[in-house]
Amino acid sequence: MTSGVIEIEGLRKTFHSLRRGRRVAVDGFDLLVEAGQVHGFLGPNGSGKTTTLRALLGLVRADDGRMRVLGANAPEQLPQVAGRVGAIVESPQFYGNFTGYRTLRLLALAGGVPVARVDEVLAQVGLADRGDERVKGYSLGMKQRLAVASALLKRPELLILDEPANGLDPAGIREMRDLVRSLAANGVTVLISSHILAEIQLICDHVTIISRGRRVTAGPVVEVLAGFDHNEHLVRVDDLDRAEELLLAAGLTVTGHADHLVVSGVPDPTTVSRTLGEQGVWVRELTPLRPDLESVFLELTGTPAHPGVPRQVDGSTPPGQPTTDQEIDLGMRGVDA
Amino acid sequence: MNLIRAEVERLSARRFVQLMIVLLMLAFGVTAATTLAGSHQPTAVELAAAQRQATANIRGMELEHARCLARERGEPFRDDPGLYLPSDCSELDPALQDRLPVAADYLTGVFTFTRQAEPLLYFLVAYLVLFGFLVGASYIGADLNSGGVVNLLLWRPRRLTVLGTKLGTLLGTVLTVSVLASLAYLVTFWVIAQIAGYPGPTNAAFWAELGAIWGRGLTLVLLAAAIGFAIATMGRHTAAALGAVAAYLVVWELGGRIVLQILEVARPDQLMLASYVGAWLAGEVRFWDSTACRTVTSGYCDGSYTLTWQPALVVLLLLTAGLAASAFALFRRRDLL
Ligand SMILES: Nc1ncnc2c1ncn2[C@@H]1O[C@H](COP(=O)(O)OP(=O)(O)OP(=O)(O)O)[C@@H](O)[C@H]1O
Ligand SMILES: [Mg+2]
Repeated sequence: MTSGVIEIEGLRKTFHSLRRGRRVAVDGFDLLVEAGQVHGFLGPNGSGKTTTLRALLGLVRADDGRMRVLGANAPEQLPQVAGRVGAIVESPQFYGNFTGYRTLRLLALAGGVPVARVDEVLAQVGLADRGDERVKGYSLGMKQRLAVASALLKRPELLILDEPANGLDPAGIREMRDLVRSLAANGVTVLISSHILAEIQLICDHVTIISRGRRVTAGPVVEVLAGFDHNEHLVRVDDLDRAEELLLAAGLTVTGHADHLVVSGVPDPTTVSRTLGEQGVWVRELTPLRPDLESVFLELTGTPAHPGVPRQVDGSTPPGQPTTDQEIDLGMRGVDA
Repeated sequence: MNLIRAEVERLSARRFVQLMIVLLMLAFGVTAATTLAGSHQPTAVELAAAQRQATANIRGMELEHARCLARERGEPFRDDPGLYLPSDCSELDPALQDRLPVAADYLTGVFTFTRQAEPLLYFLVAYLVLFGFLVGASYIGADLNSGGVVNLLLWRPRRLTVLGTKLGTLLGTVLTVSVLASLAYLVTFWVIAQIAGYPGPTNAAFWAELGAIWGRGLTLVLLAAAIGFAIATMGRHTAAALGAVAAYLVVWELGGRIVLQILEVARPDQLMLASYVGAWLAGEVRFWDSTACRTVTSGYCDGSYTLTWQPALVVLLLLTAGLAASAFALFRRRDLL
């Protein structure tokens, strides 16, 4: 616990509005980010990611829970560590009539950072030539880059990025990936929320998934993926029906598809090839189906509450679990779960 | 300190502020130019004629006073039919008059500083009050609305310090602009009077009176700026301040006045903020209370009463302090999105 750069325990936040009443945004959420991690923070729309980050940064008042950032209690002691935390929260807004340069210059002045740093970060995010233009003339991706620049301005030890890839072009996404990697290589701890799961899988070593305001899984990416590895294999043969019969007869679990079969629960694929080969059915393709973050994410959060009905935000239910009370902590269960 | 620098730069870089200052200079230029064009330096002959007229007028007043005193002593005096003499002769005593006719009163086509400075200053104060209010409201309103405050709070997570610095910066800037503008304004017209008009009898009493109006005017400008700032902070929007003032004027100063009249409430002007503003600026204001003499059927009834600047200042300060305190209290706890 001592090395926790971000520690959140039991965070609760309910929004009250006169017209629509109460809305529970975060419901007893826990998060632990340790020094040096590149930590992915995932969850469906409306699951409470941004609210969590806002509470952590003192922008909204938490109803309950304990939060620490770089060892300081949040939000009371935030002023002591704010200079070491760079953050962007959900497509930050800027005053449109100021230039990108002035926007950053004002932040640098207010935060006691040398103004010379502004040109450096503008170059770092690829806005070197556009810094003297008004922000309202920026494209979505350019505003996002400006936001990242503002977070980098203070050379943070901890970088909190809420959907930094929002609006970025493919090259921009790759640049963002390289940026995060190089920062991480320099010892910066990064918490990054994103819906681009392939990207998260590429850059993050740890991940926390939130659904309906609660943590549904957390841990190193490899362990989370391993926990969802059902040892499935894709099998292609010429005679699908016969192969299915043989595999079923051998006691394996098989699902038939139009042009292939999926066999699950087989740690060793030779079982499949031997079972079929011994009966003269020759395997044309045998591919292990490894779970990726997307499949894990969807399995944890993406099931429609009512089959056939489009899934609504807030409506994700972990499979077989009509309530959201469960918490699967794969980080604790480890590989052999 | 850095925060103050940043805020001064933010405020002065605002286009609205720049526009208001340009408008001020424009109005200033036009007034000065038309004054200059419509005025000439009085010739010795004109001055002598005006002086004669003033002297003649004072002589007339003395004569009338002398007659009144003669009547009081029972001495005979040449009766002028239709000449009214008050029961109390001191009303006519030239030595007791607020102000005696001076040569400047009888100069036509001549800009006379002592006669024009006061209305010119009132005009400038009115403009500066508007300036202070609008700049105060839009400075924080646009910043809250464009996410600038959130960005700043990520750097300086002390809400009261940030808001307090903003208010302080605003008041300092508005005061500086007001002092410079009013000095430039008075000096310009003083110079016009010197080269193309007539300065008039500028004695210590004149300067003291002008200085008092100036000081009270600048105080009012600062109060207006603080009120605009406070209401826009509470409403999270520039328009909140404009709306609140418009609503107040229509609902209370117009609608409320009519209702108070129908209900025959005594001294309705005492309940109107505008009365206090007037009393503060002018030093004191007399109001006529129509209900005071309703029960008096015969004899003399004076239904008038005065509001002086002291209670006016108390009312205005309490209002401003109350609004500012509420704004800070609200801002300290509020969820910023
Ligand atoms: N100011 C607010 N007033 C009322 N409800 C709010 C407010 N802000 C957020 N919420 C609600 O809180 C819940 C969580 O919102 P949050 O923005 O944290 O989601 P998120 O995980 O960031 O989603 P996304 O992936 O779409 O960014 C949502 O149901 C949302 O409607
Ligand atoms: Mg979000």
